[in-house]
Amino acid sequence: MSMMTAANTTILSATGVSGGVVSAPTTGGGTTTTSSTSTNAIDYDYEDSNKDMCPICKTDRYLSPDVKFLVNPECYHKICESCVDRIFSLGPAQCPYKRCDKILRKNKFKTQIFDDVGVEKEVDIRKRVFGVFNKDLNDFDGDLKKFNEYLEHVEEIVYKLDHGIDVEETERQLKDYEELNKQLILSNIERNKKEFENFEEREKFQKEMRLKKRMLERQIEEEDKSNKEWAKREIINRLAAASTSGSLSSASSASTSIVDNTQDVIESVKSTVKLKKSSARRKLDELNRFLQDNPYFSSSNPNSTQNTLLYQQQHGGSVIPFTPFNGDRDIEPRRFTIEEELYDDPFLKDLQNKKEFIASGFRTDYVYERVLTEAFMGLGCVISEEL
Amino acid sequence: MSTANNTPIAKVEYTKEKKVGEGTYAVVYLGTKQSTGRQIAVKEIKTSEFKDGLDMSAIREVKYLQEMQHDNVIELIDIFMAYDNLNLVLEFLPTDLEVIIKDKSILFTPADIKSWMLMTLRGVHHCHRNFILHRDLKPNNLLVSPDGIIKVADFGLARAIPAPHENLTSNVVTRWYRAPELLFGARHYTSAIDIWSVGVIFAELMLRIPYLPGQNDVDQMEVTFRALGTPTDKDWPEVSSFNSYNKLQIYPPPSTFELRKRFIAASENALKFMSGMLTMNPVKRWSAIECLESEYFQEMPPPTNPSEIPLPK
Repeated sequence: MSMMTAANTTILSATGVSGGVVSAPTTGGGTTTTSSTSTNAIDYDYEDSNKDMCPICKTDRYLSPDVKFLVNPECYHKICESCVDRIFSLGPAQCPYKRCDKILRKNKFKTQIFDDVGVEKEVDIRKRVFGVFNKDLNDFDGDLKKFNEYLEHVEEIVYKLDHGIDVEETERQLKDYEELNKQLILSNIERNKKEFENFEEREKFQKEMRLKKRMLERQIEEEDKSNKEWAKREIINRLAAASTSGSLSSASSASTSIVDNTQDVIESVKSTVKLKKSSARRKLDELNRFLQDNPYFSSSNPNSTQNTLLYQQQHGGSVIPFTPFNGDRDIEPRRFTIEEELYDDPFLKDLQNKKEFIASGFRTDYVYERVLTEAFMGLGCVISEEL
Repeated sequence: MSTANNTPIAKVEYTKEKKVGEGTYAVVYLGTKQSTGRQIAVKEIKTSEFKDGLDMSAIREVKYLQEMQHDNVIELIDIFMAYDNLNLVLEFLPTDLEVIIKDKSILFTPADIKSWMLMTLRGVHHCHRNFILHRDLKPNNLLVSPDGIIKVADFGLARAIPAPHENLTSNVVTRWYRAPELLFGARHYTSAIDIWSVGVIFAELMLRIPYLPGQNDVDQMEVTFRALGTPTDKDWPEVSSFNSYNKLQIYPPPSTFELRKRFIAASENALKFMSGMLTMNPVKRWSAIECLESEYFQEMPPPTNPSEIPLPK
C-alpha cells in the first residue's frame, strides 16, 4: 500500500514537469518483425541471471563498479549502458534477450527507478495514462461522485494495460480520449505545471526559512556563550584594576569598599551583557512573528481556525473539545497557602536544609499537600467556610 | 463444572482457560467471568515458594490497585483464594506498548504517540494525586486494551509517598527508565521519578528504539549524561553531594539543534514537552499536571482516537 502511494506521488510530480503529452509507444503486432533468428539473440536463460550483472556482456558490478543498467519500457529487460550504445547506436534493433522479439530504440532507454520491474512498469503506465487523463475535481464542478467514477475509469485502464487485458482495445480508448480532449488536456497540463511550480516554490521558501531560523538560533547560542566568557573576564579585569587603585586608599575603608566594589562591578558587567542581547535574537523574534502570519506555515499554527474546520469536516462535523485531563481534574489544584512567617515547622525546616534532601528534589509543598489532603479527605470540608 | 482449577468453596465465578505468561512470582491465566461473560486475566501468586508469607510485590499490587479506579489504570476486579494461592482477577489486556514499539509491521503516527502519552500521563497523574509512586514505568508496563486504551499496570514496585523522614530505596525502576536522582542513589525522591520514565518512553516512541540503553548501572549514568548533559550544582543544587557524583565525566547539555537532529520528526512543542520531562533537577522537572497542560497536546495534529490506533495482529 505504501509502495503504491509512493509511486503515485512520483507520477504526480512527474506529469507536472513533463510539459508535453507523453506519447504512447506503439505496442502490438504493427511494429514487430517476426524474425526471431536474429544474430543479436544471445543464448542464455535470463531468468536466473545475476542481479548485478549485465546478461549480454557479462559485465558485473564487482569488476566494474560504475556499470549502469537501463531498461526499455517495451519489454523491461535489463541491459547495461555500454551494450545499449553498442547495439542500438545504428538505429532500432531487436531486444538482445533470447525469445524477446520487441524492437527497441535507443532514446527510449531509461534508468530503472524501482527494483521490482512490475512496479517500474506500472509507474510508467500510470505516467502515460495520467498524462492524458489529467482532470481534477474542479473539472467536475466539485461533483465528487462523478469525479470518483472518472478515477475508477482511469484505474481500470491502468489495470488493464498493466495486466495485459484487452490491451489493443484499451489503447484505442486512450487514443480516442486523447484526440477528443486535446484542448482540455493541454490546458490541464499547463495548470498542473503551475501548481507544481507553486508547490516547489513553497517548499523552497519553507526550507529557507527553517534554515534561517536554525542559523539564528545557533548564532544566539554562540553569542550567549562568548558573552558569558567575556563577562567572566571583564569582572576579573575590573576587579584587578580596582584592587590596585584601592590599595592606594586608606586601609580601614578598603575592605568594605572592595566588597561594595565587587558587587557594583558584577552588577554593571551583568547589565552590559543584558544590553548586549544580540541582534540575532531580535531577528529570530521577527522571523517567528512573520512566520506566524504567513499562510504557508498555517499548518503548524495550532490556533488556525482553518485547521479546526478542516478537521471537523473530516471527522463528521462535531468534535468534542479537547481536555487534557478528560474532565477529571481538581478545579482548585491547591486549596491552601502557607504563611511562612506564621507557620514555623522546625521538623520540616531541618530537612529542608539537609543536603541529601535538597538534592533528591524534596519539596515541603508536597508534604503539606499530602498531609492536608489526607487530613480532610472525604470530609467535604472547605477550610475557608469552617473558619 | 468444566474447569478443574476452581475453588470448591466459593461459587465458580472465574475460570482459567489458558496460561498466557509466567513471571518470577506469578502465573497469568486468561479466563472468563461467568456471570457476565467478560474476558479477564487471573494472576495467581505463587505463595508456596515464599515460606515467610506472601511476596511483597503481591501485597503492593493489591494494596494500591484496590484503591484506584481510573480509565488509564488497570482494573482489579476481584481477589480470591484457591488452594492456598492468592488470585488477582484483573482486566484482560491483550498487548502492551513494548510489543507495539517492537512490531515493525505496525506504523504509528505522531498523533498516535500523542494519544498514548496523553493516556499514560492521565494514569500517572491519577497515581500521583493519590500519593502513589509507581516506580516501574516502562513500555512493557503500559498495557493496551482491545479498544486502544492505555492502562498503567504492574504496581509490584509501587508505594505510597512516604512521610518526610522515611528513607526510600533507590533501587527501583527498570534501569533504562531510571531518573538521574535514582542513579545517584537518592533516598528522598519524589513523584518526579515517574515523570522521567514517561519522558524516556516518549523518546522511545519517537525513535522506536530504547533512548537510554545503559549496559549496567554505571553505564546508565554515562549514557544518560552523554545524551542530556551532566547536571551541575548550578542547575541542580547539591547534586555534587551525592557520593557517586565526583567520578563523573562532565558532558555539556545538548543544544536545541542537537536534539532536533536526534528527533527529526518532533515539533518544537514536542521537544519542549520532552525536555520538560527529562529535566535533570527533580524540582524543576515538570509535574504530571504541567505535562498535561503542555502546548504539545493542544497543537496539531490532535491525538488520535484510541480505537483508531493500530494494534498488533
